[in-house]
Amino acid sequence: MKRILLLLAISFFFIEAGAQKYMTKTGYIGFYSHTPIEDIKADNNQVAGILDISTGEIVFQVLIKSFHFEKTLMEEHFNENYMESDKFPKSTFSGKILNLSSVDFTKNGKYDVTVEGDLNMHNVTKKTTAKGVIEVITGGINATSRFNIAPEEFKITIPGIVRENIARSLEVTVKMNYLPLEKQ
Amino acid sequence: MKKPVKIALSVIFIIALVGVIGALYMFNKGHKDLSKVNPDFVITSTDLVKEFEKDEAAATAKYMNKIVEVIGPVHYLKVEENKATSVTLQTGNAASLVICSFSTGIDPEKFDVDKMSTIRGEFSGFLMDILLNNCVLIK
Repeated sequence: MKRILLLLAISFFFIEAGAQKYMTKTGYIGFYSHTPIEDIKADNNQVAGILDISTGEIVFQVLIKSFHFEKTLMEEHFNENYMESDKFPKSTFSGKILNLSSVDFTKNGKYDVTVEGDLNMHNVTKKTTAKGVIEVITGGINATSRFNIAPEEFKITIPGIVRENIARSLEVTVKMNYLPLEKQ
Repeated sequence: MKKPVKIALSVIFIIALVGVIGALYMFNKGHKDLSKVNPDFVITSTDLVKEFEKDEAAATAKYMNKIVEVIGPVHYLKVEENKATSVTLQTGNAASLVICSFSTGIDPEKFDVDKMSTIRGEFSGFLMDILLNNCVLIK
């Protein structure tokens, strides 16, 4: 009897462990720069991310070349001059939901969260904190967030000529639709 | 005005005009139309994934910025809020697929699940999958 119970407990653990991770490969991250001279917007719909609801760990991986601008020339400058994406093709974020206990993943609804972690871009890593919303829906989890970053903090140098065309602080928007790992 | 001065001014004006037109063209050019460009590589989705499984760094360096034509069965099609469309191809490896992002609208009818498709795109990098951008449907 004891053995059966032990086996049941172990198999339950494995089922549960698998059910803790949520993933997406088509997440969205965009950024927006507003200046009196011009507005610049870039969208990336190929963000890969994993959310572990048991530990609150949240990881993002982004390809710099997957940011698309309306103007091709701008996209080229972004990759070649500012982000040097041939040298540094990816940007990653690795962090944790700080107030994990305030999210009930068994109950559909929206929960305010604060996420803190390391944001790596252009070979510079910076501790970043952002507020967001976790939305538990039937069969998945959606996460959204908005925060600001300054290019200079990531050693991204913008030449003097165009410095006024790009905002000191860029608004970043994140929209992820996670599905359970086994349902990919 | 003396004739040589007139000629000189006209030449300068024409050069300036060409310059402005050239700049405007550069500024407003859209993404390259890959249906008119020859691919650097033609490969099946299965073989492409195997190269990344074997040596990710070498494969990334080999394909970076190149135009790759991939042949493989359709896994699924996804249309985003902003109309950006991506088609995912099967590779025989459930964890690592080929994701092709289309910058222009595509006809969903042409992408039935399991249908063998040929898609040409610019290799952008490897996250968990192979990511191609600016894709066009070849077959």
